Amino acid sequence: MRKGALLHTATAEAKLLLIGIPVVIWTLLPIYHIFLFSISTKDEAFAGKLWPDHPTLRNFGIVFNQDNYFLNHFWRQLGNSMVIAVATGLVTLCVATTAAFAISRLRSRGGRTVMNLALFTYFIPAAFLAVPMYKAMAAYGLLNHQSSLVLAMVTIASPYAIWVLKQSSDKLPYELDEAARMDGASPLQLFRLVYLPLMAPALVAVGTYALLLAWNEYLYAFLLLSNDLDITLAVALGHFLSADDSPWEILMTTGLIYALPPAAIYYAFKRYMVGGLTAGAVKS
Amino acid sequence: MATVSFQNVEKSFGTTKVLHGISFDIKDGEFVVLVGPSGCGKSTLLRMLAGLEEITGGTIGIDGKVVNDVESKDRDIAMVFQSYALYPHMTVADNMAFSLKLRKADAKVTQERVAHASKILNLDPYLKRYPRELSGGQRQRVAMGRAIVRDPKVFLFDEPLSNLDAKLRVAMRAEIKALHQRLKTTTVYVTHDQVEAMTMADRIVVMHDGRIEQIGEPLALYDHPANLFVAQFIGSPAMNVVNGVIKRSDGTACVDVGDGVQWPLHQSPGAEGQSVAYGVRPGDLALTSETAPGAVVGEVVVIEPTGAETELLIQAGQAQLILVTHGRPAVNPGDRVGLAVAPGKVHVFDQASGNRIAA
Repeated sequence: MRKGALLHTATAEAKLLLIGIPVVIWTLLPIYHIFLFSISTKDEAFAGKLWPDHPTLRNFGIVFNQDNYFLNHFWRQLGNSMVIAVATGLVTLCVATTAAFAISRLRSRGGRTVMNLALFTYFIPAAFLAVPMYKAMAAYGLLNHQSSLVLAMVTIASPYAIWVLKQSSDKLPYELDEAARMDGASPLQLFRLVYLPLMAPALVAVGTYALLLAWNEYLYAFLLLSNDLDITLAVALGHFLSADDSPWEILMTTGLIYALPPAAIYYAFKRYMVGGLTAGAVKS
Repeated sequence: MATVSFQNVEKSFGTTKVLHGISFDIKDGEFVVLVGPSGCGKSTLLRMLAGLEEITGGTIGIDGKVVNDVESKDRDIAMVFQSYALYPHMTVADNMAFSLKLRKADAKVTQERVAHASKILNLDPYLKRYPRELSGGQRQRVAMGRAIVRDPKVFLFDEPLSNLDAKLRVAMRAEIKALHQRLKTTTVYVTHDQVEAMTMADRIVVMHDGRIEQIGEPLALYDHPANLFVAQFIGSPAMNVVNGVIKRSDGTACVDVGDGVQWPLHQSPGAEGQSVAYGVRPGDLALTSETAPGAVVGEVVVIEPTGAETELLIQAGQAQLILVTHGRPAVNPGDRVGLAVAPGKVHVFDQASGNRIAA
């Protein structure tokens, strides 16, 4: 009996491994590929080896010293990416938190309808909206301003952000609001002193989502910004492909560097994604 | 400290009316318990007093001032919620100080008041802790502390003990009562537990289906229930009730419940032939011999000893009755026994209206 159960567990685990191992390889292979390119010279990069004969960090030096035609503004563009991503994260948080608070806690009339309408926009692929968005930004005279990209990314990130925050704020016991009201809190005090601290884990998760969305954006960044000094690094990476003989090893090195901040951010905020701050509020 | 008055208070949710004209007054310093089964409107009434629900009709007054349109925070009342509703991201001290902080009270005053409340409630060792690090009873005390710190005109309690286990509930019951005796603040307490109501209240308001069934002191309600609902709701185990018809002969009266079973009426309320509900509390029934005059004969079905008392389930005619006796009677299941009713302990209600028929 016991042996049978053990065998059963072992078989189940074996099946999971059979699925898991290929998926892991599938996921890691491109990353390994990027890494391989970044430590190879141009000749070795295309030699088709699993490990270069003479691994080198020269490529990183080239990138950091902006020692390549395509990378003349590397640091500036990396900075652009950061400013735009952080701004998108913050603005999205402002929009989504206040909206979720109004819909979920103040129970504003028609709040749910507004949220559903916003979510409805996801039925239209963002790529379809690129041209109308371009025209709208042109009408406001925002083309080639980084604020246009921030606004566009906030527009794309907000419906989902509002929805996620509304869901998690629905889970906060309503009695907390009532207790705070009786303690004399105005809606704004309730928002600042009770709601925001309790929503912190969700805020971090949503802020990170918006930040990474903007960090990874290519299409809108490509359309809305054209000056070399304004564009994000993602667009700059795209420019590599305009040459006949692209320096692939440099492109991959830059790509690897570009992928590190999101990984770091995710790792740093991992614990917030789990939550658990609300424990002890009410008997569960 | 303050008086509270409800004048013809009504409440509707959409088209559903849940409170039908509630009127009563609470005296300064009084401990009033609103009790009734789930859905009777007691919590809604409390929340209306708290300012958490709109008042559909009538007026609520605190200290003679109508508060219908006064914001919750300006009513000077404090509430203890069933779920405690502590702020999870604040320490015990911060939880208690929160209301004073919002009122921009002097830091020293705040500290003194928190210290005072924590001393009363024995919370001193926990002031730096977070709610998640406290047990249920401790959280409940913090919730009470949060109310005490404000020194409000009226304390409101919304089923504060129903999340605690039985033993803790009894302890907290005594603690709340002691607290009231010490602070003498007007208190409105909502519960569905009639034992809580009986043990704690100065006066009980029994509610049912959005109406007041009876208001009175606990023992008055127990001894003279105004109607069948109160009779069966107050008291544990519940009052035995059998339906029958009043019969009179040779100067004596009884209630005939059929099958040859006749319950004695010591006083003789009601008219001959009137259909009545005959009620007698389990403690007012006594075992006697089958042949004793006026005894009702029944058969013991179940015996439940609880140590100090013994509870007997007895089949008499169609009805099953509960008898509670202090002794340890020498009976066995299946035994035939006689039941005697203590004189003056009979409650008779009109079957149609459910109202008490005056003795």
